[in-house]
Amino acid sequence: MADILLVEDSPEVSMTVREILVGAGHTVVSAETGNEAMVKLKERGFDLIVSDIWMPGMDGIALLKEVRGSGNRVPVIVISGGAPNAPLTYTAPLASTFGANEVIYKPFEKDELLNAVSAVLAA
Amino acid sequence: MHGPDPAQDRWASGALGQITPHAFLEALPFNAIIVDRAAVVVALNGRAAAFIGYSAATAVGRPAEGLLRVCLERAERQQALGDEPTFEHYFNGTWYIVRVFQISDELRCVAATDVSKRKAEEFEIRENEGRLEEATRIAQLGTFKLMWDSGAMKWSPHMYILHEVSTDTFDPSRDDYLTLVHPEDREIADRMRQDAMSGKPLSGTEYRIMHRDRTVRWIRVDGRVLFDADGAPYGSFGICQDVTDTKNREHELNDLLRRNATLYEALEASPIGVAVLTPEGGPPGFFYLNAEFQRLTLHNGFSLRGQPLEALRPEEAPSAGWRAASAALQASASGSFELTCVRRDSTSFLAQLEIAPVRDFPGRDAIAYVINLRDITVDRQRAEALLQSQKMEALGQLSGGVAHEINNLLQPVIALSELGAALADTDPIKVRRYFEVIGGSGRKARDVVRQVLTFARRDPVQVASHMIAALTSDALDLVANALPPGITVSRNLMFSEARATVNPTQVSQIILNLVKNAADAMDGRGEVTVTLEGLDLDDGAAEALNLAPGQWIKLSVSDQGCGISRETRDRIFEPFFTTKPVGKGTGLGLSVVYSIVTGWGGSVRIDSEVDKGTTAMVYIPADSDTV
Repeated sequence: MADILLVEDSPEVSMTVREILVGAGHTVVSAETGNEAMVKLKERGFDLIVSDIWMPGMDGIALLKEVRGSGNRVPVIVISGGAPNAPLTYTAPLASTFGANEVIYKPFEKDELLNAVSAVLAA
Repeated sequence: MHGPDPAQDRWASGALGQITPHAFLEALPFNAIIVDRAAVVVALNGRAAAFIGYSAATAVGRPAEGLLRVCLERAERQQALGDEPTFEHYFNGTWYIVRVFQISDELRCVAATDVSKRKAEEFEIRENEGRLEEATRIAQLGTFKLMWDSGAMKWSPHMYILHEVSTDTFDPSRDDYLTLVHPEDREIADRMRQDAMSGKPLSGTEYRIMHRDRTVRWIRVDGRVLFDADGAPYGSFGICQDVTDTKNREHELNDLLRRNATLYEALEASPIGVAVLTPEGGPPGFFYLNAEFQRLTLHNGFSLRGQPLEALRPEEAPSAGWRAASAALQASASGSFELTCVRRDSTSFLAQLEIAPVRDFPGRDAIAYVINLRDITVDRQRAEALLQSQKMEALGQLSGGVAHEINNLLQPVIALSELGAALADTDPIKVRRYFEVIGGSGRKARDVVRQVLTFARRDPVQVASHMIAALTSDALDLVANALPPGITVSRNLMFSEARATVNPTQVSQIILNLVKNAADAMDGRGEVTVTLEGLDLDDGAAEALNLAPGQWIKLSVSDQGCGISRETRDRIFEPFFTTKPVGKGTGLGLSVVYSIVTGWGGSVRIDSEVDKGTTAMVYIPADSDTV
């Protein structure tokens, strides 16, 4: 079972993802912004980061740059609902460019997320 | 003292011997008086009686006195000084040349010739010369005379004045004239001198001289050749005058002409259509059209000459723009008007026409009117295209934002309903929570969709002229119900008459959004101030606000809340951008305000200082003359 950092500004999504992951036996620490996630990452290590892309303040891409830039190889799954100037289909290449291991699109089924988590952790 | 003289013998023996001294004396053509060593009159001729004032009978034997004595004494004085005893003497209205000479050891003769006539002629000549000198002085003319054989040059006094040299320091025969000439003109002056020496007439040669204080004067020289009595040329005579003032006036005139020509060319080259109308005793008529004006209207100077401005008006009933333009012209007022103009071939175009009265003195009647004319058909199309592309861009941004928002809100609907179904029998408390979140997400999605509909509506909203103060007041009454109890709204709606062409629902939306933002910024406690002002912006003030000059209504909503940081301010009008705590606000409020206000041709500005407060200012174009 994995120790997961969840970064998501929408309370509905955050709550939902947490329910899915905890229901599957993982432990989840939540952050609402990229900045908050960086603070938590400095406190301790995680097995996996699940992060939204478009958030106020430091967004998912900026967070990825910061994490990878600091040499942290922790696996990252990006969950994306699109952005004003970036159609949904742009998100995957954008995220992988900056070092995401997997991208899944909102709204996703419970198993889509859990399969992605298993795949990334097994890799 | 003299020995016997043969000539004397001949004189005594010949015909001369027949003449008595008295007859000889009488025959002399001048007054002759003979006196002895003691200056006693010995003899005199008849005419001399008038000279000395005595008859011959009374004079002889008397010592010289009166005029005679004066003459003798003067002659003696001159002789004593080694001069000839000859002099001119004026007496009793007559000029004499007086000579005194020895006849013998004993006798002297005083000979006085009446030269009054010659004197009078001389005087006249001198007076003529004086008059000439005076005339040349008044005319500021200098004269000069050049003798070719000797090279001697004689200047009249005024020549020295003209050249600002004195007779002590400058000798025109000896000194080089060219030193007085401006270095750049020495060649001209030198050629003139050579021409004079070779007998060519001088006609209007102009050159500059330089005074010692380095002031520059223009000189003009005219001259002719002098011939002696035999018709042989021997010199040059010329006049010289200072033509600096004339030259300056000539320069000024040339400058003026050149400036005029430049202005005319500039007007012709202007990329804006320019016409001038003049009243000429009646209503203003076309007087001048520049090239662009002719190109725009297909008219030329003749086809519109004297015609009123309305010659460019379509035949149908005059539009509001045309009525305003005609009224401005009639009132000698300036103004800018959008109206349709008819070309000479009866086609028409959308124009911006500006009128400016020209006055030769402030407050006087206009002597002319300048008309600027631009074809704004293309500008208008471009502006519309730009607006459309901005709308499309906003729409693109909007759809991305909407997708993100809706996707997020669908997430719990899909995933929590699945999780909840699995827990239906075992954990009803959790399932109830899931339902609450699902329901909340659904309602939030509904709000987003409603806001988007407002924002994305592309059909023109119905607008009409409304009193903004009344609409604001109504909207504030509505908003009051939706505000937390700790928020009070202070209204400064003094400015009550101003009207603008708007949609009342949109005004409510603007006020709702701005007041709610203000209330949120103060954490639900404090005073929101809503102010209306009328602005009449001149060019400078308008430019500072990045607005068009004219009348505006300014709606301000101020709070003393948390303020907005600089980074945030840059993004504040982006759809879905929000700083509100997660779960509050859709991030569409200000972009809705922006979209509505720009739709009216207005603008939105935000002034903010962190922790001091924020003022949102909405500028709405006012209906004419309501501010």
